[in-house]
Amino acid sequence: MLDMGHVAEDSMTYVIEVAGLTKRFGSLIAVSDVSFNVEHGEIFGLLGKNGAGKTTTVEILEGYQSPDEGRVQVLGVDPKKGGGAWKDRIGLVLQDSDFDPSHTVSETVKLFAGFFSNPKSVAETLALVGLTDKAGTRIGRLSGGQRRRVDVALGIVGSPELLFLDEPTTGFDPSARREFWTMLEGLRSAGTSILLTTHYMEEAQHLCDRIAILSAGRIVAEGTSTSLIALAGTTTVRFDFVEGLDVAALSREAGIDFKIQGEVVCATLGATQSELLRLLAHVEREGIELGGFEVVRPTLDDVFLDVTGDEA
Amino acid sequence: MRFIRLSLRQAEYNLVAYTRSARTVIFGVLMPVGFLALFNSVFGGKFKTIPVDGHNIPTIAFYTGGLTTYGVMLGSFTGILVAIVGAREAGWLKRFRGTPMPPGVFLAGEILYLFVTSLGLIIVMLAVSHFGYHLSLPAHAYLAVFCYTVLGVFAFSAMGLALTRLITTSEMAGSVGPFTVVILSFVSGVFLAPNLLPQWLLTFSSYLPLEPIVSAMQHAIALPGGSGLQVRPFIVLGIWGAVSFVIAQMNFTWEPQRR
Repeated sequence: MLDMGHVAEDSMTYVIEVAGLTKRFGSLIAVSDVSFNVEHGEIFGLLGKNGAGKTTTVEILEGYQSPDEGRVQVLGVDPKKGGGAWKDRIGLVLQDSDFDPSHTVSETVKLFAGFFSNPKSVAETLALVGLTDKAGTRIGRLSGGQRRRVDVALGIVGSPELLFLDEPTTGFDPSARREFWTMLEGLRSAGTSILLTTHYMEEAQHLCDRIAILSAGRIVAEGTSTSLIALAGTTTVRFDFVEGLDVAALSREAGIDFKIQGEVVCATLGATQSELLRLLAHVEREGIELGGFEVVRPTLDDVFLDVTGDEA
Repeated sequence: MRFIRLSLRQAEYNLVAYTRSARTVIFGVLMPVGFLALFNSVFGGKFKTIPVDGHNIPTIAFYTGGLTTYGVMLGSFTGILVAIVGAREAGWLKRFRGTPMPPGVFLAGEILYLFVTSLGLIIVMLAVSHFGYHLSLPAHAYLAVFCYTVLGVFAFSAMGLALTRLITTSEMAGSVGPFTVVILSFVSGVFLAPNLLPQWLLTFSSYLPLEPIVSAMQHAIALPGGSGLQVRPFIVLGIWGAVSFVIAQMNFTWEPQRR
């Protein structure tokens, strides 16, 4: 496990504490010795492929499932024992739930608002999720992405201190996803802590203060997106291969180990700046024109594929 | 107080869905009314009265009492079965479970709603019998019909609730529910006069949950005198309802069932 040396502070600042969490389904170990903490006011991302154990972990935190081993505290309470007062402080967006198609958006949100002691107004909630002009539309007439936003509306209508979002943006188009991110950032600045699962790396990189990557039930990496990317470390350089290009000479002159992969020449860089300077000086001298030249920093995608031991 | 307030809201929410669904209105109201007209026109001309438990009941009263009770059972038993299995299948129940809503509110809202729709059906059926077929109820009958409706809604919805663990999909619920009610109706003096059935079947059906309340309803509507209230349906349906409720309590689940 790659822990980025997160310093433990006063435990009261943690809204979620997970230590040694293990969950089995028969012989299948869905979650294995998972530990992490979520601080007050942060967006914490739980990343992993389908079946990595994200939803199982989240459902244990939400109180839907019991752990086989380990200690779990959510807002200082064991979720299995969390009663109405505890649920009043928590908002949920489950992976899939459906609503009665014959009710309108605002009727559905109003019903849920009634369950909570300090709800937001229906109008405010709908404005936050961008459904104001769909308030009077029946759920059955909404698109998939709009229904997902109703899900989110029901998650936030109770003014939760802690919000669980299980793959909330599945089915969103890119612009809806951007709006959704802005909304979550707004909730965070208003003090809401958020636990988010996603398989969109871009989403995690954009939103999450800290990230834990799950693979086959274990946390294989944890840290900020920047620190995780630093783990992957290597910058790559690549350009198009053209007939007659002497790649061996390039490698020798620049001190870079180039490889030809199909139509592309690429290499990982060590001392990025000096290696690039040598390479560019050499091609300039020789009058070589490099097509499609790019220097690429690793993304969270690369880290993810790296630590989950898989190719896309 | 909060429990009552939330239950009323839940019932209102269900009623809104009811009024917006053609299916519930057709099966819940138009079908019993249609059956009333149909059976009365088939048998009404042939038989002035039909004997039930040693009393001769006018044919229109026989069908009004029987088909009203059939409608109450169809609504409550099938209604709660379809509602709960469907809400569970869609993850709706699970979603409710994650809110501070007290767990009993969902059920209370469902039963309240079924009670309102059952009363509505009874009013429609009695109005059709009165204005269409000149059936007039004895004064005491209203109280009896009301009490039997309360009894029926509770017992039938408890029975539907008990089945929710066995029936895992709304598709299954939508066929098992009405099928059960129709079969029971055939042996319980709803569609057919009891004297057409063999004695052993009559004896058997008197222990089932529909026949006692059907015959009591028919007596209350047709016969003058007394309170119109019988003890037998309260005992038989009370037992069916109580046992069902205990089973439901033991087996109930909020989580979608894997097929």
